[in-house]
Formats: sequence, C-alpha cells, structure tokens
Amino acid sequence: MTERTQVALSKFDASVAKAGVQPGLLLRKRLPGFLWFLVALLIAITFAFPIYFMVSSSFKAETEVLATPVHWYPYEFQGLLNYQRAFEVVPLARFFFNSAFMATVDVIVTVFFSALAGYGFAKFRFRGRRLLFAFIMSMIAVPFQILVVPLFIQVHSFGWVDSYAGLIIPGIMNAFGIFMMRQFAYGIPDELLDAARIDGAGEFLIFRRIVFPLLAPASASLAVIIFLFSWNNFLWPLIVTRSQDLATIPVGMTVFTQPHSDQPRWAVAMAVSTLATLPVALLFVFFQRYFVQGLVMSGLKG
Amino acid sequence: MSNVSQSFIARRQRWGFYFVLPSVLFFVIFFLYPILSGFYYSLTDFTLLRPPQWVGLQNYQDLLKDRLFIKSIGVTLQFVLGSTVPVWIISLLAAVVFFQKFRGREVLKLLFFTPVLPSLVVVAVVWRILLHPSGVLTTLLRPFTGLGEINWLNDPVLSPISMILINDWSIIPFYMLIWLAGLTGIPEELRDAARVDGANPLQSFLRIELPLLRPTAVFVATISTINAFQAFTLQYTISPGRGGPIDVNTTMGLLIWKYGFQYYRMGDAAAVSVILFAIIMLVTGFQLLFSRGEQYSLN
Repeated sequence: MTERTQVALSKFDASVAKAGVQPGLLLRKRLPGFLWFLVALLIAITFAFPIYFMVSSSFKAETEVLATPVHWYPYEFQGLLNYQRAFEVVPLARFFFNSAFMATVDVIVTVFFSALAGYGFAKFRFRGRRLLFAFIMSMIAVPFQILVVPLFIQVHSFGWVDSYAGLIIPGIMNAFGIFMMRQFAYGIPDELLDAARIDGAGEFLIFRRIVFPLLAPASASLAVIIFLFSWNNFLWPLIVTRSQDLATIPVGMTVFTQPHSDQPRWAVAMAVSTLATLPVALLFVFFQRYFVQGLVMSGLKG
Repeated sequence: MSNVSQSFIARRQRWGFYFVLPSVLFFVIFFLYPILSGFYYSLTDFTLLRPPQWVGLQNYQDLLKDRLFIKSIGVTLQFVLGSTVPVWIISLLAAVVFFQKFRGREVLKLLFFTPVLPSLVVVAVVWRILLHPSGVLTTLLRPFTGLGEINWLNDPVLSPISMILINDWSIIPFYMLIWLAGLTGIPEELRDAARVDGANPLQSFLRIELPLLRPTAVFVATISTINAFQAFTLQYTISPGRGGPIDVNTTMGLLIWKYGFQYYRMGDAAAVSVILFAIIMLVTGFQLLFSRGEQYSLN
C-alpha cells in the first residue's frame, strides 16, 4: 500500500467516522443499490434494444438492415435519406393526416362528453341514474373482438364504410373516460357550484366555466391515453377503410409487414416506424405523469 | 323546505340527465345494439348482399365440424397461456427491481418503458427484421445454440412462440407500471414493522407485500387475459400468409376477420365472436371468483 493510498484511506475513515457510520455498513448500504442498478440496467437494455435498433436502422443503407453479420449501428450513415424516401414510397403525409385527424377528434369528443357525463353522474340525482351508470360501466368490459362484426354491419347499413364518419364516429366515446371523470367530479365542492347557481349561472355555463376547468388534470390523463389508443388503433381502421386515401398510419404500414419480392425497403420501413412512434414518444416525454396515471387507471393498452 | 324550492331542485336534477344523455345514446347505438344484433346475426346466413336468412343454430353446428375453428381455439389458448403467466411473473419482478432506490432509476425505467409506445404494427415490422433467420436474435443466441439460421417466423413449432415473445416484450413494461403503482400504494410503515420484527427482505415481500398486492394481481390477471384472447394484430401482420404457417397462428380473433372480412360470411364470423365472448366471460369469471370478488381499487 502506497503512502498516498493510506492517507486517502485514513481520510475516508475519518469522513465515515464523522458521518457516524462504520465502513462495513457503508459498503452494505451502497452495494445493494449498485446491484439493483446493474439488474435494472440489464432489463432496461433488453427491452429498449428493439427500439434502438428501429431508430438506428432508419439511418442505415438498405443493404445494411438485414446484413450478416449484424450491423449494430449504421456503418454507412444515410442522414435523413430514408425519411425522404418514405414519403415517396407511401403517401405518408396522407396517413399522418388521417391518423392525426382521427386522434384529435377522438380526444376532443371523448374528453368533453366524458367530463359532461361524469359530472352528470357525480353531482345530480335524477331518475334512472344508477341504471344508466351501470349500463355504461358494463360497456367497459366488452372486448372489441365481440363488437367488430355487428358494428361493421351497423356502419355498413349507415353507408359509412370507407368514410371518415365510419372511421371516426364509432370510436369517439369511451366508457372508461366517463368512469374516470365521475371519480374526479366527486371531488368538486358543492358549495362552489351552489355559489355559482346563486349568482344566476345556468347549469351548462357552470359546467363550462367551473367544472370543466377543475377537471383539467383528469382531462389531461384521459386525453393522453385516448390519443395513444387512437393513434395506435389497428383493427377498426383496417376493416372500415378500403381506399388508401383513408388509411391511418398503422393500416398504411401493413405494406411493410409482408415480404417484398421486388426491392428491399427495410430501412424505409424503419424510418416510417420511427416517425409513427415519434408523436407518442414526445407525448410520453413531456406529459409523463399524465401518461402513466392514465395508463395505470385504464388498462387500455392491448 | 317549501314546495316551490323542491320543484326547483327537481328541475335542476334533470340537467344531470341531459348531461349523460349523449353518452348513453352513443353506447346504445354503437355498443348495445351491435352486441345484441351480433347474437342475432350468429343465427343467420348473411353476406351483406342479401338480407340475413335465419338458419337457427346451423352456424354453430358447422363450426363444431370446422377443423380450422377447432384448431383456432387451441391456438388462442396457447397464445393466452404464453401471454399471461410469464407476463405476470416477469412484470412483477421488474416492478420489484424498479421499486428499489438506486441512482439512475428514473432513466432506466424510461428506457424499459419504451416498448409500450409503438403501435403493434410498428412492433411487427421491427421484429420482422430482428427475427430474420440470420438476424439479430439468431446472432445473439449463437453462443448458446450454435445455429447460423433460425426460422423464427416460418417454423410451425417456433412461430407461435415468436408471436408470444414479441407480444410479451411489448406488454410487460405496461404491467410493470401497474404492479409498481400497487407497490407504491403499500404503506411504508408495514415494511418498517416487518423489518423491526426481524423479517428479511424476501420474507417481507412474500408475507407482507404479495398478499397486499392481491387487488392489483386480480386487475393484471383479468386485463391481460381479456387482451390476450383478442390476439389479432401480430398474427395478421407478420405470421406468414396471415395466420400461417399451416394455420398455427390462426387465433380466433384472426378467424373472425377471415370469415367476416375476407369471405364476408358474417353469420359464421358472428358465431365465432359469440363463442369467443363466452370463453372470455367463463375464464375471467373464473378468475374473479377465484379472487373472491376483490375489486381493483384506483386509489
């Protein structure tokens, strides 16, 4: 042991002694934290790797994506070339517009009517309230696979197949949203509402000016998960739209899922995948709290 | 209270009805009516071209003789098994890891969570590349298998396992989040009390936390089972020939799509839906019974 190490060690011992902890105990306290970190690092890398591969492959040359041995990062960095090509290979702008349009309408309508109905169920005692609430709650548990065939027949009879109406309207409300808003609306003090009533405000004005703003945090959580759900929805847009003009991103992307004989375009597919995931990723980064709360409460993912 | 003010209050309460009315109408038109009509269509021969013809239980009798349908039940149950039990265990273990206090936890949790973000179609495209016969996963496993090529998607035995692998990867972080919320909800005093009484961390986990996580467990089990029974997107997008090879990936969800939207046999598709519904109700009902009616609490 060199002199310098000894000095360092004695300093270390002194600082530990000052903190009132024995060196062994410190080790025992620090070590588990480090082990947990290693375990967490391992599983985080395992789960994040496919996402890394998606993003990095979007910058690779076409021949690199499936190259053997595997290219773990872009050897021939392509810049945004694959992203440019993506817009030429498929009408990506159109897909994005359709997805954004559907998601926006879904979010606005769901949040507004969920808040309205949630408030109605929480703060009013009209006849049939329990029955109607039980009815809507029973709709939460309905698996969509059960609904898809008769709903399609219904939409077909309306003449809505292959139209924005057919694409969007059957999905603009969510039973879970009503449940969630009701839970939050309970917390609004009655005195506040009564004060507004004494001031002569109408019931709808009270909802618009007082209740809806107070439900903002719940609205944010609901909006974020409805966006996620709508943006990533696949089965309904797949069957109700025919023309490419109405395809949402997941439906439009199906051209990349089956093998192509003519020319490989895996790098382009990765660029499209990255672009398709970007809005959700941004939402997650900026609204993480609402995102997580909404997901935990709903169990919508799947 | 005078009669005047009472009628005033009664009139006010009616506003609640007006507020819930749009939602109720929506669910009647786009949920209740289709569900009920689905039962009716399952008893008819219907191709959308002519009005439905009543055939009684004929569709159900045909399904019992339909080898593809019988096979799809097995395929679905296999997928459900692979997409539930391993998911529960791995997501719970991951939640325990991310519940510990260590530096860098939030960043690692963020990374771990990324598979939840992309749509299943994106997941399918990405994994098509990762599961290329001589691709990434084959390369990573080569030290253990020694194989240069593995037919992840085209091999009839391996292909359903690959579907489960992809699906589990994409949903485990979500269920981890649910478990984590459950763990966070357990009062710290209980853990402290167990430690004071000399319990080691494992004992504390098994005796204190696991029993208290019961409502969370019921929620995770129910949701994951209902979702798994509806498997469709992965099988549609990356199994060779939509459900292959040799129909080993034709789940009931995919069969509903095939009968309904490929062949326009709406009656048959509706009948498969009704049977799938019955199976889901049976299994989740059994799960809820098993959990003795405990409800998942949101708080």
